[in-house]
Amino acid sequence: MADAETSQARLGLLEAAKAGDLSAFESLMRHHERLVLMTAFRLLGSLPDAQDVSQEVFLKLYRNLGKVEASGNLAGWLYRVTANACYDVRRRKRPERPVEFAGELRASGSDPQQAVAEAERRRALEISLRMLPEKERAALVLRDLEGLSTEAVARALGSSEATVRSQISKARVKVRGVVERYFRSR
Amino acid sequence: MHCQDWEERVALHVGGDLPAEAALAVEQHLAGCSGCQLLWSGLKESLQLLQAAHRDPLPDAAYTAVRARVMAELAAGRRRWWRVAAALVAAALAAAALLVLVAVAVWPLPRVQPLPRVALAVPAAPPLAYARGSEPSHDRKEVKKLSRNPVLVRLVTDDPNIVIYWIAD
Repeated sequence: MADAETSQARLGLLEAAKAGDLSAFESLMRHHERLVLMTAFRLLGSLPDAQDVSQEVFLKLYRNLGKVEASGNLAGWLYRVTANACYDVRRRKRPERPVEFAGELRASGSDPQQAVAEAERRRALEISLRMLPEKERAALVLRDLEGLSTEAVARALGSSEATVRSQISKARVKVRGVVERYFRSR
Repeated sequence: MHCQDWEERVALHVGGDLPAEAALAVEQHLAGCSGCQLLWSGLKESLQLLQAAHRDPLPDAAYTAVRARVMAELAAGRRRWWRVAAALVAAALAAAALLVLVAVAVWPLPRVQPLPRVALAVPAAPPLAYARGSEPSHDRKEVKKLSRNPVLVRLVTDDPNIVIYWIAD
């Protein structure tokens, strides 16, 4: 019931925004900004880049309100556009090191403080994610961090479910490899 | 070492991505394979660590900044649009005015025929005839009788062929 009301309210916002109401569009943006910025941040690993992508995605949303309304799946559209915008950003930047070199990633020192250790562990996890090929990373982020179903991930990435399952399993195995190498080296 | 054949299925099972039947098969395999058990626990741990590392929300300021940038861009775009629209309307009006001026200057106007001028020529009224020895009277009968003669009005135009006569009773 509440979901239906929320959905109706968002449809109303979408209609109003389409009619040129900027405050309605701002409300729509507030509803979806976490989805876009968080996903972009997880895919890019850089907050300024993620903010640039978010800006681009919302401007694109404004220009395509009619199409999005017709599709009836705003979240799915936003995931797809965000993932594509992140691919573009990554392509414009220099290529990153492949996952095979992740063994070099180890703690820079033997700082006993727990906070430092935690920060290093996070860094290792972040790097493990950044080293994945873009499709695998996108599949892993959408499935394991955003919590989408395999079917929704497939729709967002424009792939088949079988392909997405294969990408997810490969990505999980690679992340495990980086994490294990990192902890073994300490 | 774990079994390569089972790697993909174990990795999917960790995230609950296998249908029930395939999940059961993986469980049965894990029960008898220590290498794959290690793989499974390693995958489980790394997935949990990854999720924990990404649990923290981003600062509110990060969202506010994006929102402000988008709204500023949209407002600027709208102002640009109005400027372009105003310029287009002004250009259209100027073009229309120019077109009218050119048309007035170049287009031959149709020659309007002047209307015939009408001159009124009223002949002198005949003298009033009174009954002998009587003064003009206000007697209705007599006046009626005396004013029987019609008044002739002759209208002369510029065209000598057109002469209008108006006989007023």
